[in-house]
Amino acid sequence: MSKEAPERVDDDPNVAMQNSAEFNELRTKFRKFVFPLTALFLAWYFLYVLLSVFAKEFMGTRLFGNITWGLTLGLLQFVTTFAITMYYARWADRVFDPAAEALAQKMGGHQ
Amino acid sequence: MSTAAASIIAVVLVSVATLAVGAFGLRVSRTMSDFYVASRGVGPILNASAISGEYLSAASFLGAAGLILARGVDMLWLPVGWTAGYLVLLVFVAAPLRRSGAYTLPDFAQLRLESIHVRRVSSLLVVAIGLLYLIPQFQGAGLTLRTLTGAPLWVGQLAVAVVVCLNVLPGGMRSVTFIQAFHYWLKLVALLTPLFFFAGMWASSRMPSGSGAVDVADWVEPLQGDHALYLTYSLVLATFFGTMGLPHVVVRFYTNRDGRAARRTTLVVLVLLAAFYVLPVLYGVLGRMFAFDLVAEGRADTVVLELPSRVFEGAVGQGLTALVAAGAFAAFLSTSTGLVVSVAGVLSQDVLRRGTGPGLRGGIRAFRLATVLAVALAVALTFVSAGVPVARAVELAFAVAASTFCPMLLLGIWWRGLTARGVIAGLVVGGGLSMTAVVATTFGADWEGWFGVIIRQPAAVTVPMAFATMVLVSVLTRATVPKHVNLTMVRLHAPENLDLDRGTFHPDPSRAGSRSGEGATARRDNVTVRRG
Repeated sequence: MSKEAPERVDDDPNVAMQNSAEFNELRTKFRKFVFPLTALFLAWYFLYVLLSVFAKEFMGTRLFGNITWGLTLGLLQFVTTFAITMYYARWADRVFDPAAEALAQKMGGHQ
Repeated sequence: MSTAAASIIAVVLVSVATLAVGAFGLRVSRTMSDFYVASRGVGPILNASAISGEYLSAASFLGAAGLILARGVDMLWLPVGWTAGYLVLLVFVAAPLRRSGAYTLPDFAQLRLESIHVRRVSSLLVVAIGLLYLIPQFQGAGLTLRTLTGAPLWVGQLAVAVVVCLNVLPGGMRSVTFIQAFHYWLKLVALLTPLFFFAGMWASSRMPSGSGAVDVADWVEPLQGDHALYLTYSLVLATFFGTMGLPHVVVRFYTNRDGRAARRTTLVVLVLLAAFYVLPVLYGVLGRMFAFDLVAEGRADTVVLELPSRVFEGAVGQGLTALVAAGAFAAFLSTSTGLVVSVAGVLSQDVLRRGTGPGLRGGIRAFRLATVLAVALAVALTFVSAGVPVARAVELAFAVAASTFCPMLLLGIWWRGLTARGVIAGLVVGGGLSMTAVVATTFGADWEGWFGVIIRQPAAVTVPMAFATMVLVSVLTRATVPKHVNLTMVRLHAPENLDLDRGTFHPDPSRAGSRSGEGATARRDNVTVRRG
């Protein structure tokens, strides 16, 4: 790699690749999975706060001893965070990475 | 042997062990790249332990239990947000940032926006957030030594400052990785062991009855008091979106080998963090039973340290107190070490580098000078800052990070239309407003009504404002969209196993100029340094 490497412009093959159908499909795949997932988990966290404020009765109901619904659901937030991350990691391993790999094979000729 | 003597021995042992582990790491630290990001050759478990070790600061070790003791279970939100912030970081930021090849947040800002001015503003913010986060660490150290031995506050503060310097100066990031992994496990053991003893007592029904004056029921209902909804949402926003903007957190994702390893690491981190955060909650509960007077005395932050000696007598109480003290020091040391490395990295690259000569040697000399400078500054600020509770100070650092770097990263990675001017305007608005809130809180300002509430938890207002400013100004200045935005976007989003030339990036601002046409060329000539 030298300083004399040609100036990159927008007709660069990489940029052409970015505009290709396969690459767009890959990005759409990512967005279609990740954006709803994020909306879902944000909604769940914010719902918990809403419940705590507007459903105090329910959240203060005891399950046993001094353990209330509020405390239980609060601790469950840790569990859901982990579950969501696990789900994402599995999806990335099984769906996204193979698709990226396939695209890499196809694009191999460029370099 | 007194409790004080046992605690001092424990603290000295932790410091010596830390330096020893650091020295071990030093032998494998060879190049500039080792120095900054440990050559990207750290396995997921070790890396996750290090990330968790670094992340669990004074606020987690002392502050969370203190807040739960004083304010009840709605403070559970702090640890939940701290954990979930990693998820947001992983899904939206980690992979593109890794692919960009930029070492630090200012590197990323310059790479994406092709402007040296954005770099400067980002550097300033990294230093500000880093210092803001360092203050509670040093505070916690002073508090711990005072609680256990009666020593003045500055003794603990200086002790941590000196050990951090000794750690960072010779080894850089690689040795720091080992140190922090070691610290995570130490912290976990330090909080777990007393709980086993409590459980043992409980099982043999020799549990002392405690002060018993407190109605445990009144605090198991979450969220009480005025404006609870706003305050909690604001806190949630700050922690969810602030995590990605903390300079010492982001740099950790570079030490993974590839995207897959980065995801593994995050999973392990979440397990380690969640396992840890159950403990402060239990300490808060036990504190309600045995040490509730601490709240009235304004010493809720010390509940973790004082609980063992209140329940157990004699050697057991002393031993457990010493263990907890050791864990607390591990917390201060690991977080401040990571922060100092990040702040010093930015200071040396952007401020000091030119004065210390070229090449690896000049770079390392600048880094060392910057380390001393950063630690000295943080200690000075700790001396002048008022007694803000440890976890509060950290909340504010999160709020500033969420109001500045979060919009820059999210928009920078996911929106082509971002311009340098838009980013600067957003950073100034978000950073300026949130910093104002921080300064007001630090100096004890307390306003009535909504204004006071917003000052207390600024994130829910300042984060949307920063986003809006960046978008609006970018749209207004859309003629100045970076010239190589298409190339940069390919580099950020093309999957890693796609073997294409992503260009390279030079972190030295004197060479990677913002003038049109030079950015890409300057970025390209550095590939051997980075990957070597």
